[in-house]
Amino acid sequence: MNLTRGQRAKIADLVPGGQSLILGVAAEAPGLVIDFACFGLDAQGKLSDERYMTFFNQPTTPCGGVRLETPPGDTTGFAIDLGKLPATIERLTITAALDGAGTMSQISRGHIRFMGASGEVARFAFTGADFASERALMLLEIYRKDGIWRTCALGQGFNGGLDALVKHFGGTVAEAAPEPPKSAPPKPPAPPVNLSKITLEKRGNSVSLDKKSGGGHGEILINLNWTMRAGAVKKGFFGGTQSNAIDLDLGCLFELRDGTKSVVQALGNTFGNFFGPPYIMLDADDRTGTRSEGENLRINGKHWDEIKRVLVFAFIYEGTPNWAEANALINLKTPDQPEIEVRLDSQNNSLPMCAIALLENDGGSVRITKLVDYYRAHPDVDRAYHWGLEWVRGRK
Amino acid sequence: MAINLGKGGNVNLSKEAPNLENVLIGLGWDARATDGQDFDLDASLFMVKEDGKVPGDTYFIFYNQKTSPEGSVEHTGDNLTGEGEGDDESVKVTLSKVPAEIQRLVIVVTIHDAEARKQNFGQVSNAFVRIVNRDNNQEVVRFDLSEDYSTETAMIFGEIYRHSGDWKFKAVGQGYAGGLHALALQHGVNVG
Repeated sequence: MNLTRGQRAKIADLVPGGQSLILGVAAEAPGLVIDFACFGLDAQGKLSDERYMTFFNQPTTPCGGVRLETPPGDTTGFAIDLGKLPATIERLTITAALDGAGTMSQISRGHIRFMGASGEVARFAFTGADFASERALMLLEIYRKDGIWRTCALGQGFNGGLDALVKHFGGTVAEAAPEPPKSAPPKPPAPPVNLSKITLEKRGNSVSLDKKSGGGHGEILINLNWTMRAGAVKKGFFGGTQSNAIDLDLGCLFELRDGTKSVVQALGNTFGNFFGPPYIMLDADDRTGTRSEGENLRINGKHWDEIKRVLVFAFIYEGTPNWAEANALINLKTPDQPEIEVRLDSQNNSLPMCAIALLENDGGSVRITKLVDYYRAHPDVDRAYHWGLEWVRGRK
Repeated sequence: MAINLGKGGNVNLSKEAPNLENVLIGLGWDARATDGQDFDLDASLFMVKEDGKVPGDTYFIFYNQKTSPEGSVEHTGDNLTGEGEGDDESVKVTLSKVPAEIQRLVIVVTIHDAEARKQNFGQVSNAFVRIVNRDNNQEVVRFDLSEDYSTETAMIFGEIYRHSGDWKFKAVGQGYAGGLHALALQHGVNVG
């Protein structure tokens, strides 16, 4: 079912049972940085309890009724169990807000879709033509009316961006984030329990993801997460960045079958494109390492045939190179495949760049090889792997 | 107690509200909270004969022609934004003064310039249309436009019609493409 802007429906008419569903959100918007959130609002439409704002730094509500969960192929998503929400929450509004320059009219296409137990059941698709100068949007609402949960494909917003959105929900916007209290640096967390994951322990280890019947690999999600973490505090939605943070950037060199070679990274705002060449997209630049989900590089596995090889790297953009403290971990996920972990061990602390893994198209399969080599800069990595790009200095 | 009529439902206004004489058709909606063009909803009324056509253009009561020739129907004025509480636009009818040749009063709600502004009722918050007995302020019938007509841009709310000496109300609740212009043509108005 396709929902048009303004269209309303009962949740039970969209999702069998009308209780639990996943909202998948995606936006293809070259050059824009969009933050998505879910606001849990009271009967007056206000955010009277900030714990009911679900976003990258607060991935779940206290009741568990809303939590971050990204369906394959989407940019982000929210798993919603209406039965778990307290009676005080009358409305869930899914929002999008720009971080940085631009307007929503630059979105080339996007959607928010309802996923039930058996897959997609409804979709609200939008493009930049639906918007003008908005810098924040209320994409979709799920709300209770006369005891019945309903939805509206809102698609309306505010030129004033996140500040106007927050005011609309009854919040106030802090002028500047206060200095975080000094505290002892927390110990790095213990290594996570490995549940059906493949860990590439030694340099040169490789694993092959066999191509499934029907072609394509779905989305290959490469996640970089790290703990930086001297005096780390939870960063607010509009909080400042930390002075002693390590800004670790995820990126990749790619080479397509047709010979196209370039780089996807935050530096120079070359965020890539998921739906068109290079079919690789970087979707968040975490300046502090405090986003719970870190940075994500997504490869559109449907177009794996057009990709020859991808070299995933991490780069310390700001802060002293200190890989031991960063405690970085790369995680590769493909649908229906075990997760693959690469820990950035064998650290060389004097060099800011780490070539992490090489993904190669091996007769349609994805062959992943652990590298974890450290370099001084991009051109050195390029030379080491015979990529053949020309390099100039850039800034974010 | 208002009656929530489904599409095509009937209610006998004379029986529901004995001695019904003064009727108010109220249209209300919330002003737009987001950025973008205002939501401008309009309530209009066609006073039609047995054949479904107006006797003349002056029996089309809308924002540019606020009273019928004999004064039985009166539009209280155009609201361009929805600003204000309760009914934002209303049409008052004195049933005993309606000329004998008029068999039906057709009530419509439209969004002004909906096509150019890419708007529908679902984008508007808390849009409703209702009939109120003005003598006791009792709401007789109410439609929720935002919820139940979300993808429509114009709708025929219903008809107040003569039946065996009584006035009845039929809830039509039918969405209508083409807006007020097409509705006026259908009811025999010479639209420029």
